[in-house]
Amino acid sequence: MKNRKIGIPRALLYYYYFPFWLKLLTELNLEPVISDSTSRELLDKGVKKSLSEICVPIKVMIGHLINLDQKEVDYIFLPRFRSIRKGVVLCPKFLGLPDMVKHSLPGLNTELISDQIDSKNDNIADYSNHQKLAAVLDIPKKEMKKALKKAAEFWQRYRKLLYKGYLIDDFAKIEDIEALENLISKFETDNNFPQSKRKKIKTAGKEEVVDIALIGYVYNVFDQYINMDIINKLKEMGVRVHTFSMVAEEIIEKELSSLRKPMFWEFTNKLYGAAEHYFKNDKIDGVIHLTAFGCGPDSMLGQILEVDAKENNKAFMTLRIDEQTGESHIITRIEAFIDLLRLKKEKN
Amino acid sequence: MKNLYLGVDIGSVSINIVAIDEANKLQFKLYTRNSGNPIELVKKGLSKFEDEIEIQNYQISGVGVTGSGRQLIAYVLGADTVKNEITAHARASTYYHPDAGTIFEIGGQDSKLIIVEDGIAVDFAMNTVCAAGTGSFLDHQAERLGVPIEEFGGLALEADRDVRIAGRCTVFAESDMISKQQYGFTKPEIIKGLSKALVRNYMNNLVRNRVLEGRYIFQGGVAANVGIKAAFEDEIDAEVTVPEHHDVMGAIGIAMLAKRDVKRSGKASSFRGFDLTEQQFETKSFECGDCANNCEVIKVIADGKVIAVTGDRCGKWEASLIGDSVVSSETDSRKEESSADKISKKKNKDPEEIEVDLYKVDPEEEKQVMKELEELEDQEELEESDKDEKEDNVLV
Repeated sequence: MKNRKIGIPRALLYYYYFPFWLKLLTELNLEPVISDSTSRELLDKGVKKSLSEICVPIKVMIGHLINLDQKEVDYIFLPRFRSIRKGVVLCPKFLGLPDMVKHSLPGLNTELISDQIDSKNDNIADYSNHQKLAAVLDIPKKEMKKALKKAAEFWQRYRKLLYKGYLIDDFAKIEDIEALENLISKFETDNNFPQSKRKKIKTAGKEEVVDIALIGYVYNVFDQYINMDIINKLKEMGVRVHTFSMVAEEIIEKELSSLRKPMFWEFTNKLYGAAEHYFKNDKIDGVIHLTAFGCGPDSMLGQILEVDAKENNKAFMTLRIDEQTGESHIITRIEAFIDLLRLKKEKN
Repeated sequence: MKNLYLGVDIGSVSINIVAIDEANKLQFKLYTRNSGNPIELVKKGLSKFEDEIEIQNYQISGVGVTGSGRQLIAYVLGADTVKNEITAHARASTYYHPDAGTIFEIGGQDSKLIIVEDGIAVDFAMNTVCAAGTGSFLDHQAERLGVPIEEFGGLALEADRDVRIAGRCTVFAESDMISKQQYGFTKPEIIKGLSKALVRNYMNNLVRNRVLEGRYIFQGGVAANVGIKAAFEDEIDAEVTVPEHHDVMGAIGIAMLAKRDVKRSGKASSFRGFDLTEQQFETKSFECGDCANNCEVIKVIADGKVIAVTGDRCGKWEASLIGDSVVSSETDSRKEESSADKISKKKNKDPEEIEVDLYKVDPEEEKQVMKELEELEDQEELEESDKDEKEDNVLV
């Protein structure tokens, strides 16, 4: 029997969970099909079909679903992320995503499989989170559980590498599970350093290398189109880039415990924990908060970070991205920010 | 022969050219309105510069370009330093006023705030989505009221009282001004009200909850407006200094940065020479249809020869130029490097190859990795001590 094709949009939490999903589907003898990288054409289509007031990451998601629909996949896997932390939910746009998609894209030909994810933590491998997937594809419970376990283990290996300092960028372009497995094994075994820990970095004119923590959601920080390739721009300017995904869960939890209560939304909490960790770390020269225009949770987070940055005497900047921003404003801002950090460093 | 360093600031409203000597003394200064053809204006400016100084006594040892139009002009001039205007402005004002604490900068289409501590910039803000309260809005209003922009600020000082005008958005500000006019308020009163609204807007959008410290410097094209200066002084209740060369501070700053960069690298300037004033420049653009991004690619052509290609996200058009040995020597070496990098990355479509090449691009880096391996142990130690620290923090 030919393997059934399951489409996964390369948007939102794809960047966080893709090794898990790739492994899961492969273990179930299904063929994962990933939508193309975000491009102008893809975004334009998404913008046309979305509510005009919604944030850019959702518009990107809509674009990717249209893209998948054209790839003639059998199903599109679009889980409804409700919670990945006890008592905390995701942004309402995640909670309503499958419904929003149904109304934005009434002409979608492909059937969506939208399991509700309700998890106590980041590990979403519980069978209850994948009942619909099992039912629609007629997968026996035992087989499903086995595949979930393998996928979870694989995902943990990937996360350990992130905690070692690798960027999600280092993996996210790979769609082939074998290549991904090889890469992960390679990174695990060799003692190479990821860019975030390298001591010597080439800079133009032998300028000081600076360390910048780029705080933002995975779908903003790792979607190269939507953020104008900010990570590579920073790297070219001689910056070691650090992201929240490099901060181990324990550290984030510890930072969070100093809050009177966690915020209502997940990932916002993670960003907060990671940012606080970076604020206190002397090795980090500056923190950039990358946020999509009109992001609700970030309106809270941004203010808190601004105040805390000042308290910790850390250089801080907010970068806002939207669907139609030219590159020059991003370059001007990051360049000026880096110059400022360099001056400070050179003075000391 | 004396060394001169050229600084060019291509703003949305004005184009400024300065030349400084080794002692940062201003030898030439030109402020022109940007009427829409920056290349021609820069050429004219350079000719004027050539005429005014005795060029045989000097040599151009470095060229810096800043401002929103910096990219194109950098190719035309063969610039050594291309940098954003925030850094350039900060550099110049901290040079002239080492005791500066706060720099207000209002230009044609953007406004900036730079916070300075002990002579170095430590924080900045720039207006985001909206151009309310910048020079081009003032220009427009002056024209509407039939007042020359040079007299606009002075008129505000004549008014004894001001009228309240909405500062949040220029559309509202304009309708407010018209309705106040209909009520019979005088021009000076309205202009004073407008100046206050503009400063209020600046405070709300850029300063926000920052604490400002003296000395206060006000620069940029709008600093020529005494009405706005007075409104700033009123708002912060302190004296505001407008530097002598407030209108060309960006150009001065970038000239100083070019001097620094040239000295640091020890290389000769890549300035294309005064001959460029005789050359014919044109830009051509086309939409690249090779991928879904449909980038608008821009070619800069000097006397029929392509000197720069830009605008492509993937860098392949940019790189196509590098292959042409005749022109490669004229392009920025940094660009070459990054484009070459991109080519090598592009070749590796096979994921297996990416794997190998991800962190080992060249043998030099290999060596680096070996060195780093040796440093692995102490690095790990550092990290461990780091972790201990974190725990301490939590306990506290």
